[in-house]
Amino acid sequence: MTDALVVSNLLLWVVVLALLIAVFALARQIGILYERVAPMGALMIDSGPKVGDAAPRLDVPSLHGGTVAIGASGERSQLLFFLSPTCPVCKKLLPILQSIATAEASWLRLVFASDGEASEHAEFARRVGIESFPYLLSTELGMSFRIGKLPYAVLLDEHGRVRAKGLVNSREQLESLFTAKEMNVASVQAFIGGNAEQGIQS
Amino acid sequence: MAPPLTLDPTLPHLCAALLAMVFLAGAWQKLRDVAALVMAIEQYRLLPAPLAAVAAWALVAGEVLAGVLLLPLATRQLGVVMAEVVLLVVTAAVAINLLRGRRAIDCGCGGPEGGQHLSWALVLRNGFLGLAALVVACAPTARELVWLDRLTVLVGALALYGVYVAANQLMTNHPRLLKLKG
Repeated sequence: MTDALVVSNLLLWVVVLALLIAVFALARQIGILYERVAPMGALMIDSGPKVGDAAPRLDVPSLHGGTVAIGASGERSQLLFFLSPTCPVCKKLLPILQSIATAEASWLRLVFASDGEASEHAEFARRVGIESFPYLLSTELGMSFRIGKLPYAVLLDEHGRVRAKGLVNSREQLESLFTAKEMNVASVQAFIGGNAEQGIQS
Repeated sequence: MAPPLTLDPTLPHLCAALLAMVFLAGAWQKLRDVAALVMAIEQYRLLPAPLAAVAAWALVAGEVLAGVLLLPLATRQLGVVMAEVVLLVVTAAVAINLLRGRRAIDCGCGGPEGGQHLSWALVLRNGFLGLAALVVACAPTARELVWLDRLTVLVGALALYGVYVAANQLMTNHPRLLKLKG
């Protein structure tokens, strides 16, 4: 009798632990689903060069050598990502940006931008492993795009025109910049807003 | 039969093991991204900004100390006090901000990707942890512990930790669900 209870007790513990792992895994998956389906576009702060306008023409030296021509006509589009070493959300987006840069390398060039002490930024770039991308330190660059909040992304097309921009906090918001470029709208908000207006008129 | 209102010795052991796991894992998760923890503490708006970093390290140290002291029998009572202090401080910080209506801030609890917001559920969760700490402090009835008791303590603590982690994930999900519903 005691043996039977011991065996059943052990068996039940195994089942309880297995079920708990399953419950946790399900809760995680639901959480990821909620995050992915949330209808959010990159928030556009309406200052600086407008979408469709030519970006300010600047030549900025990269931290890792060479010079990056901002707003010039080139072979590839540029994604300017404004960040700071002290911003956790920026850090969270770095792996996502790197995977986008690799997948879209044929038409897109990823450029990081910030301002401040060069040694501090060089150390940050080395620590997070983004040394293979141009990293610009220029207050003028941030001023010319009127960057107020971070992380901020600006998508420039191959002719140096601003195609999409906005404050980005997640992969979805980053991707919304590309969607905005493909659909030729200023931002996903503008698109949704435009549809709503059409709905009222019809 | 044991008389009512007595505590089997496995229960304090189990609660001590559970709390040690909660505190040590919590400290480890916070240590992995101290910058995020400092920002979360700033968001609580209870301390002047320069003190946030100090508070972050003090919190991590408090959690490690509580977790480590709870494990050996000799220091367990001290661990209970430490655990209650840490729980009281963080729960008070959460409750103050809930009363201020500042819900949509990161609780700074660490966790897989952070982003758990403040809620009364969080206060309730900490209440349960506080109760578990009280159980640890209780004197149990004497009984010889056999190997099966050790297993109960170990696996039982693991199972309750699983419940804790799953509850945290559901609390993280909740505001996202509300956002989806619009």
